[in-house]
Amino acid sequence: MSSFDDELRGALRRVEPPPGFAERVLARVAAERARPGWRAHLRRVFGPAPLRLAAVAALALVIVAGVGYERHARGEEAKRQVLLALRITARQLQAAERGVQRLNARQREPKETIR
Amino acid sequence: MSQLALTDVFVPDAAVLTDADFAAIVREHQATVFSIAYNFLRDAGQAEELAQDVFLQFYKNLGRIESRDHAANWLRRATCHRAIDFTRKRAAAREVALESAPEPSSEPAARDPFLREHLRKLIASLPARKRLLVILRYQEEMEMDEIATAMKMPARTVRTQLWRTMAHLREKAARLLGEAGSGLATPPKGERQP
Repeated sequence: MSSFDDELRGALRRVEPPPGFAERVLARVAAERARPGWRAHLRRVFGPAPLRLAAVAALALVIVAGVGYERHARGEEAKRQVLLALRITARQLQAAERGVQRLNARQREPKETIR
Repeated sequence: MSQLALTDVFVPDAAVLTDADFAAIVREHQATVFSIAYNFLRDAGQAEELAQDVFLQFYKNLGRIESRDHAANWLRRATCHRAIDFTRKRAAAREVALESAPEPSSEPAARDPFLREHLRKLIASLPARKRLLVILRYQEEMEMDEIATAMKMPARTVRTQLWRTMAHLREKAARLLGEAGSGLATPPKGERQP
């Protein structure tokens, strides 16, 4: 053990808190106990239980309706896109068919002149 | 009084504890908690605020406290963490209010008040974690593994950081005292770097 360690112990010796410290701590604890908890706070903000229940039910209904509408809208959009794709495909197939017919007609013409 | 109940069987439940029981716990540990805070902050007002916060937090967690030893360790650990949070929040320059220094709990042997005051200032200039390591080691006389648990640090890191901090403090103290303090710069015999 060095004298430096002793000096350090001396420099860092325990000190008593100011008088009345424990009483002030107890007063803070009492104030904390007297403060309403989160349930009481909830009651104060949202009112009595039946009203809170109704509010929760209404909120749940709005959420369910919102989710339902969202799904329906997404289905409608998907259907619209499929129909559009089919229409484009049909138009392209028709154009391709016309091209093939034109080609066939052109191929047939020279054979007839040879005969 | 409830003091008897506390020494015989620890009653950890806040609902079971009376105000007198809790007051007894506060009185038993107030010097520890306040001293860690005071030696860390060097400001009696802030130290009291921090110590009160710690006891309030302790009251809220009484249900988790299993024994008297657990209570003492819990309070030391909570004080350390609060002290670090405190410095983070108030990173602005700290003033060392010497006139607000409270009276020591026991009359110290008057050795070298000049050196001790400078040691306090040197400790106050250390980074928060290193300052706490020195306080827990030299104020609370805690072992390395106890400090490691309180600070949530590996014991090896605690040993290394404390060794370095002590070397730093010795060197600064020796420089401050010049010739008279030349013996302080060297660690005591048998103390090796971890």
